[in-house]
Amino acid sequence: MNTSTFRQLSRRLATPLAVVISSLAVGLPMMAMADPLGVACTSGTSPNPSFSLTTQTGDIQLPDGNTMYMWGYSVQGQSFQHPGPVLCVNQGDTVTITLTNNLPEKVSIMFPGQTDVLANGVPAQPEFDPPLPNAASRAISLTTTAPALAGNIPGVVQYSFVASQPGTYIYESGTNPQKQVRMGLFGTLIVRPAGTGGLDHLYNRADSQFTTSDNSAGAGNWDEEFLALLSEIDPYQHWAVEANLAANFNFNNYKPRYWLINGRGFPDSIADNAAPFLPTQPYGALARVHPYGAPAHPYPGAIRYLNVGSQDYPFHPHGNNGSVIGRDGRSLETAAGDDVSFEKFVVPVGPGQTWDVLFSWHDAEHYSPSNPVDINIPQIANQFFGQFYSFSPYLGVQGQQPPNWSSLNTCGEYYIISHNHALHQITSWGALMTGPVTYMRVDPPLPNSCAQ
Amino acid sequence: MSNNKLSNHGRRRFLKLAGTGLAVTGGIGLLPGQLRRQLLPVSDAIGAPNDPANLFFVGTDGWISLPASPAIPTFHPDTYAPTNFTTYIFGFRNMTGIPPMDPANPLNMNPLVIGQKNKAQHSAPLFWVDEFTGSNTFRLDLLNVGLAQRPDLTDSHSVHWHGFRNVIPFFDGEPTGSFAVPVGRVFRYIFKPRDPGTYMFHCHVEDVEHVHMGMTGLVFVRPRQNGNTALYPSGKFAYNDGDGSTGFDREFAMFLSEVWAESHWCDAHIQLPEWSDYRVDFALLNGRVYPDTLEPNSPFNLATSTHAYDTQRQADGDLVVPARPNLQYQPLSALVTCNAGERVLLRFANLGFKEASMTLAGIKMRVVGKDATPMRGVIAGGTARTGVDTSYETNTLSFGAGESFDAIFTAPPHSGGAGPDIYVLYNRAYDRSDNQSGGAGGQRTEIRVYPTGTISAQTIPNENPTVA
Repeated sequence: MNTSTFRQLSRRLATPLAVVISSLAVGLPMMAMADPLGVACTSGTSPNPSFSLTTQTGDIQLPDGNTMYMWGYSVQGQSFQHPGPVLCVNQGDTVTITLTNNLPEKVSIMFPGQTDVLANGVPAQPEFDPPLPNAASRAISLTTTAPALAGNIPGVVQYSFVASQPGTYIYESGTNPQKQVRMGLFGTLIVRPAGTGGLDHLYNRADSQFTTSDNSAGAGNWDEEFLALLSEIDPYQHWAVEANLAANFNFNNYKPRYWLINGRGFPDSIADNAAPFLPTQPYGALARVHPYGAPAHPYPGAIRYLNVGSQDYPFHPHGNNGSVIGRDGRSLETAAGDDVSFEKFVVPVGPGQTWDVLFSWHDAEHYSPSNPVDINIPQIANQFFGQFYSFSPYLGVQGQQPPNWSSLNTCGEYYIISHNHALHQITSWGALMTGPVTYMRVDPPLPNSCAQ
Repeated sequence: MSNNKLSNHGRRRFLKLAGTGLAVTGGIGLLPGQLRRQLLPVSDAIGAPNDPANLFFVGTDGWISLPASPAIPTFHPDTYAPTNFTTYIFGFRNMTGIPPMDPANPLNMNPLVIGQKNKAQHSAPLFWVDEFTGSNTFRLDLLNVGLAQRPDLTDSHSVHWHGFRNVIPFFDGEPTGSFAVPVGRVFRYIFKPRDPGTYMFHCHVEDVEHVHMGMTGLVFVRPRQNGNTALYPSGKFAYNDGDGSTGFDREFAMFLSEVWAESHWCDAHIQLPEWSDYRVDFALLNGRVYPDTLEPNSPFNLATSTHAYDTQRQADGDLVVPARPNLQYQPLSALVTCNAGERVLLRFANLGFKEASMTLAGIKMRVVGKDATPMRGVIAGGTARTGVDTSYETNTLSFGAGESFDAIFTAPPHSGGAGPDIYVLYNRAYDRSDNQSGGAGGQRTEIRVYPTGTISAQTIPNENPTVA
C-alpha cells in the first residue's frame, strides 16, 4: 500500500496540520500515523515482527467535556494512548510481543482467536492463586501474566505465536478483565492474508479485495480500510481506580455512561488520526470513500468491527448494506469454497466479536443538475439543515449557503452517517448525538475539486 | 427536544450544541420566534412537480394507551394524559389523499391536516413499495404540523428509510448531512427501491428522542417477481427467488418498539431524561402490548390501501374510534390468523434499543431473509445472491436494534377441535413479554390456525379477514 506522505498529509478533514508520530527509538515498531484516515498500523518486520508494549495510565477526552482516567497499552518509548496500538502482521508471521508492566498489579495480554500462544517460551496458561493444585485456588488470570511493578522495576512477559489465519482480532488483558479491560487494556490485531490474493484482501479469497491507493486505476484513490472498535465506560469504575489503583469495582453496579468508537466519541470520532487536540486518542473513524464503479474504483471499502465492551453494539451504516465476509477471523465460506457471506444494514457486534465487512456506495440514480431530483427543492428558509450539508442534492455540487452559516462541506461531498442503533448509547451522560457515530464521506468521482 | 444549553468549553461547545441540534443543524429553528411565525405557513410542494404523492405523512405528537396498572410512580400513567390514554408520544399519521393546503384558500394549511396535531399514532403507518423497475418512482410527502403538548419545542421531523442502499443524503432524512422538515413545512421524499425485503423507517431528527418517542414504523419492498403464479399460486413473494421458495399466502408486519415511561413523561412535562439510565418498561408489538396485541386492527380503507395500511378516518380527519376506544391511536393488531397448510410470512423489524428474541412455540419458521437480503450466497465472480442457500429453520429469532428478519412458516394441520389452534409468538427475553405486573404481556401475540378454507384471502398485509 502506498504511503506517499505528501499526498496523505494533504488529505485531512479538520486538523490544520496532520501530525506525524513516529517511533522515538530506532528499531522499535513504526506507527504509520502519517495517514490521517483509515487503519493506522503499527507494524513490525515480516516474517518475525516484534512489538514492545508497555502498560501506561493517562486521560482521554469525552464528548461532554469530561476527561476520563484510563489504563492502556502503548508502544515502548511512547506515552499513553487509547485504545492500544493497531498491530498489523501478515499471515504466517511469528509474532513476538514483549509486555513491560508499569502497573502495581499483574497484567497480561490475551490473543483470542490465536492458537498455541507461548508466554516466555512455554504455553501460555491461566494462573491461579494459590497455585494449583490447591483446593482453595481461584483463577486470577486467563493467561500468563507480567509481574506487577515492584519498586521501580517493571514486570515483563514475552508472548509469541504464529498468526496462522487472516482476519481481525482483539487483544486484551486476561487478568481481572472486568477491571483491566474496562480500564482500557485492549487493542486491535490485524492479520493480512498471505495467499494469492495479497495484502489488499481481507481473506484468502478473490472477492475480499478492498480499495487501496495501489490497486485502483484512478489517480487519487486512497486506502479504504477502516476500523470500528466499540467500547464503553462507566465513570464510577474509573474514578474508583484513579483514587486507588488497587480498587476493585463491583461489576454488578456496572452502568456505562459513555460509548466510544476507536476510543473517541462523536464528533472527535471524525477528526483525523493523531489529531493534535486529542493527544492520547490517535485513531479516527471517518470512512472517506469514492463512489463504487469500474474502472477507476473497482473494489469496495473494508471495515473491521470489534466489540471490546460488555454490551451489544448494533452498528448501522446508512446507505449501504455491508457484506459480512468474515467473523472472528474466519472467512464465511463453505469447505468447498462457496460463499456464504450475508449483507447487513445493521452489524450486530457482540462482546468479544469481530466482523469483517466490505461496503461500497453506488451512485444509483446519477442525480445531477442535468438529471435533477423530480421535486421542488425547498428554499433554505424551509429547511432545517446540518453542518455537513452541501445545500445541493447532487454529489460534487455545492449550493448557496445562507448568510452567517459556516458549512463544513468542502467540495459537494456527501456525508452519510453511521452510528450505533441502540440509540441510548449515542449519548455521553446527557450530551446527545455523541458516542459511536461517524460518517461515510463520499467524495465526487475522480478527478474532483476536493482537497485530497 | 431543542433546549439551547450554551457552554464555554471551546470546541466542546460544538458538541453541546450538536446534542441539541443547533450547531450542527441550522435553518428555520434558529430564527427568533416572531420571525418564525411570520414565515408560517409555507409549502414548497405546491405547484410542481404535479405528480400526486403516493403517501402523505404528517408528523406530530399524541397519546397512546398502555396498561395503567400497576402504575410506575410519577411517570405512568401520565397525569397529563387525556381520557383513555396513558402515554405521550411523537409519531406519524397517514393523511394520503388530503391536500396539505386548504383547497378553498391555497395560502393556508388545510384545517383537516392541521387538525391532526396531537393525534399521532404508534407504530407509524405500515407501508410498502414496489421494487423500482424504471418508472414507478415512489413519492412520500412529509408535513410537520408541530407539537401540541410542547409548543415551546420547534422540532423538525424527517423520514429516514432505514437500510435504503446507496441513498443520497438529500433523501436520507439525517439532518447533519442534509436537512429535515421544520414546523409548517412539507418535503417530498423520492424513493426508487431496488432491493426487496423488510426495512423500517423513522424520524432521524434528535433520533434518540424522536425514535424512542414513537416516530417509528415498518416498510417493505415487494419484489418484481410478484404476480408470478407459476412459481407460487398466490403470486406473492418475499424476494426475487426464481424458484418460489419465498412464496407465501399471508404476510404480517411484526414491528418491535419500546417505551421507557420516564422519558415519555419527561417529554410531556418539559423535562430531560438521562438516556444512559434507559430501561424498557413496555415492549410493544405493532405499537401495542399483550393482550391488546390480539385486539382487531382498526378498520382500513381498501381503496386507498394500495401502499399502506390506511386506517379509516372520521370526517375531521381523525382516526376512527375502534371497539376499544383506548386503542384509537394504536390501530395495528399483531394477531395472525391463517388456514392450515398456508405459508405465512412474518416481517420482523426492531426499533427498540434492546435485542429481542422472538420465539414461535410449536411451529418452525424458515428464515428467508435478513436486513432486506435473501439468504443466498454470491456465486464466484458474480454479484447476485443466487448461490448457496443459507436459509434455516428456527423457533427463535434474536435481533437487535435496527435489524430485520423475514421468516416464513407453514401453518400446521388443524387439530380438529372447535375453533382455531393457537400458537404463541413471544419475546423469550421475558422481561419484555410482561407488563410490569408479572404474567403475560409485552411483545406477545398469537398465531391462530383454522381448518383449511376457513378464512378468505388477505387483501392487504396484516389483514385478518373475518372468520365465516
